[in-house]
Amino acid sequence: MEQTNASVLLKKPKLRTRFVNYFKDLWLSFTKGDKYVKLSALFLGVGFFKRKQTGKGIIYAFLQLLFILFMIFIGIPNLVKLSTLGTVELEVIYDPVLRDNVFNDYDNSFLILLYSLITMAFILFMTILWVKNIRHQYHIQIKVEQGEKLPTIKEEIKAYMNEKFHVTLLSLPITGIVLFTVIPLIFMFLIAFTNYDQNHQPPIKLFTWVGFRNFNLLFDFSSSNQAFGYAFGVIIVWTLIWAFFATFLNYFGGIWLAMYINSKTVKWKKMWRTIFVLTIAIPQFVSLLLISYFFANYGIVNTLAENAGLLQFFKDIGLVKPTLDYIPFLTGPIWTRVMLILINCWIGFPYVMLIATGVLMNIPKDLYESAEIDGATKFQQFTKITMPFMLFVTAPYLITSFIHNMNNFNVIYLLTSNRATSDLKLAAVDARDVDLLVTWLFRLTSEQANYKMASTVGVILFLISVVFTLLAFNYVIRGNKEEDFQG
Amino acid sequence: MKKLFLLAMVFVLSIVVVACKEEPLEEVSLTVWASELDQTLTRTLVDEFIADHADEVILTVEVGPLSESQAADTVLADIDAAADIFSFADDQFNRLMEAGALQEIVENTAAVIAANGGANSGSILAGSSDGDLYAYPMTADNGYFLFYDSSVYSTSDVATLDGILTRAAADGSQFTMQINNGWYLYSFFQGAGLSLTYDGTVNTANWDNATGSKVTEAIIAMAEHDGYVNMTDAEFSAGVTAGTITAGINGVWNATVAETAWGDNYAATKLPTYTLDGVQTQMASFAGYKLVGVNQTTDNPYWAMMLAEYLTSEDAQVRRFGVQSWGPSNVNAAQSTEVQANPAIAALALQSQFATIQNVGGNYWSPTESFGNNIVDGTLTSSSTPAEIQAALVAMVEGVEAAPAA
Repeated sequence: MEQTNASVLLKKPKLRTRFVNYFKDLWLSFTKGDKYVKLSALFLGVGFFKRKQTGKGIIYAFLQLLFILFMIFIGIPNLVKLSTLGTVELEVIYDPVLRDNVFNDYDNSFLILLYSLITMAFILFMTILWVKNIRHQYHIQIKVEQGEKLPTIKEEIKAYMNEKFHVTLLSLPITGIVLFTVIPLIFMFLIAFTNYDQNHQPPIKLFTWVGFRNFNLLFDFSSSNQAFGYAFGVIIVWTLIWAFFATFLNYFGGIWLAMYINSKTVKWKKMWRTIFVLTIAIPQFVSLLLISYFFANYGIVNTLAENAGLLQFFKDIGLVKPTLDYIPFLTGPIWTRVMLILINCWIGFPYVMLIATGVLMNIPKDLYESAEIDGATKFQQFTKITMPFMLFVTAPYLITSFIHNMNNFNVIYLLTSNRATSDLKLAAVDARDVDLLVTWLFRLTSEQANYKMASTVGVILFLISVVFTLLAFNYVIRGNKEEDFQG
Repeated sequence: MKKLFLLAMVFVLSIVVVACKEEPLEEVSLTVWASELDQTLTRTLVDEFIADHADEVILTVEVGPLSESQAADTVLADIDAAADIFSFADDQFNRLMEAGALQEIVENTAAVIAANGGANSGSILAGSSDGDLYAYPMTADNGYFLFYDSSVYSTSDVATLDGILTRAAADGSQFTMQINNGWYLYSFFQGAGLSLTYDGTVNTANWDNATGSKVTEAIIAMAEHDGYVNMTDAEFSAGVTAGTITAGINGVWNATVAETAWGDNYAATKLPTYTLDGVQTQMASFAGYKLVGVNQTTDNPYWAMMLAEYLTSEDAQVRRFGVQSWGPSNVNAAQSTEVQANPAIAALALQSQFATIQNVGGNYWSPTESFGNNIVDGTLTSSSTPAEIQAALVAMVEGVEAAPAA
């Protein structure tokens, strides 16, 4: 029964109460409803025909028919195979007379999984429709009993253009999100629990459920055979180190740059800003590819370094191995890591500089003036006024940029895609020592077609991102600091 | 009323026309993925094929580019969506087989085998599994050999690795061979008589025995020589053009670069011998072939096979040699004087007695690349202890022998 009580409308009940009420209401509608309402539990729309709402009745009956046909031809055949993901492998015999391949009636694990998911989405949709149907029928039964006039189909359609316009507006995007985002996401998540890889590829081969095996493989740090655990450990540590430096070096570097350009001693402020912003204007992959050529083992920077005696200097202090005749900027494990962080600074500074410039200009000047009168040093002004203000305004940016850097595919992949690793255990699972989780994931899919492990890595990456985001938001934007900054 | 009558007339007429017409020709559409370099010729050949069979079938063929060295990556990403016919380098044959991506060749099989030198010829073996043919040989030139500038090296210099390195160091230029690449690294280990086999699922190798350690020492000795530099294929061609590289081990795809840079001094021969524990040992190599495969999931296997056969026929291979200088696998095509006069192909013929087909599983490449890289980046050096070398070898072999997940 629909609530019309004003007090209920004003104060939203708790989620749990609403949940319980939903089913109480359903039960009430079913038991108190007349035979048409009860019959409509079996044949949707029966009650509508009875109350002369033929249009609605047809729509409901049509949807039910559609659902039954879908279940018979697609839903049930796939759902029964869901537990095994198919058992009949493809067999091909070439028939020279027909000049064609003769296939057996084979199972396609990929399609079984996909159709099963879609079927479940349909069942969920139909269940909601079914509940709504019963409640709605009871509702109109009461209306009829009280002698109220029922809206005609035209009026109801009109309602969707007026007071229910939000439903009309949102139905398309929500369908889109379910079909193109939610279902594929769940699909990818489920792949992590299968053995879908290069050797189990539909339609030719079957894949099947393997439970948590892939996760065990990823967290088995002792395994020496397939060193996924080892690689995962190395890569996640580097991912976090990278994300930390890439985020905070950029952040403080950008603020420093903005403050420096803002200071009275610097002339032609606009020109400097424009120059730095130019690095944003050039597509990243162009500049990164150029940089990777510059810093190649026999690239221009190495030639310059050798001529300038830098190579010898680095050899003398032990940073470059004596057998090398180049500085391994993008090939040595430590060199590469440092270079990646530095190159990323060059790309990342300007973004923070732009944000910081805007924020700095908005800090009230009188704060600094009064601080100066009180005898605060420049550094104190920075730590007590500038930074708190910056942090408050840019905390969401800082968090998103940390997550973004954990997944910073461009910088890592474009600079190191052709790089070999000397770590044989990493090589055994197609990882590189400077891979982030996301670039490893990419290698696993695009080069090895190892979808099962890629999905597993993806799930873990997702969990890590979620945990970091929640923690960071809780700590940084905790409490009620807003008042402090609203002068 | 008049309109209705006209409409009825049109309807009746159309039925008559359809009824009179003979049974229509089958309509078939195919997709071909060929090398970026081979697009024009492939298109021409495809059009000829369509015209030749115009009375049997209505063919529409789309030709798209796909680098032969990465064909397996692309095809295996989604076999169902891949082209009906695609060319690939033979190192990917086993990966494609394991995934079941290749259609067995059953039309004119005997003729195809005979044209390429019989069932025991390398090009047929490279495209066969368990004695059945799964791919059409297209070229027999995808192996590697020694390029050199004959103004720097004499023929006796290039016979031994030591001779090359000494001369290069004296000349101030360098010799290159990429050792952080399993493809080239194979030369040393296979040359020393060590074994690497593949049973269709896992690799087996004995590279981590005592001989393997000696081989590694020999590679390290080369790597540390002043006359040597480790370079990728791209760096090799840049180095040749710049003049810093005067000799190198590489394949036909860089022949034009070397020819342009060295002019009349461009020369090519088999791989040199190297000093293994004081004994001169001939470097082995992978014999390389380019193959054309038919997708197992194709809707039109017959026409796909016929077209693939045409694309790899004697005539097609002769013309491909004319355009790309790609060495034919077809025996008759390979006999032509033009082909025989090509230095790169002559060098490959010399090397062929030390070459083996690439029968290795997918787990071979990454560990060997990494092992070579240990030498390149100075982790393994001449001052490394035998135990360190041994540990690296064991780790490499472990990776190579790893079984794929069930």
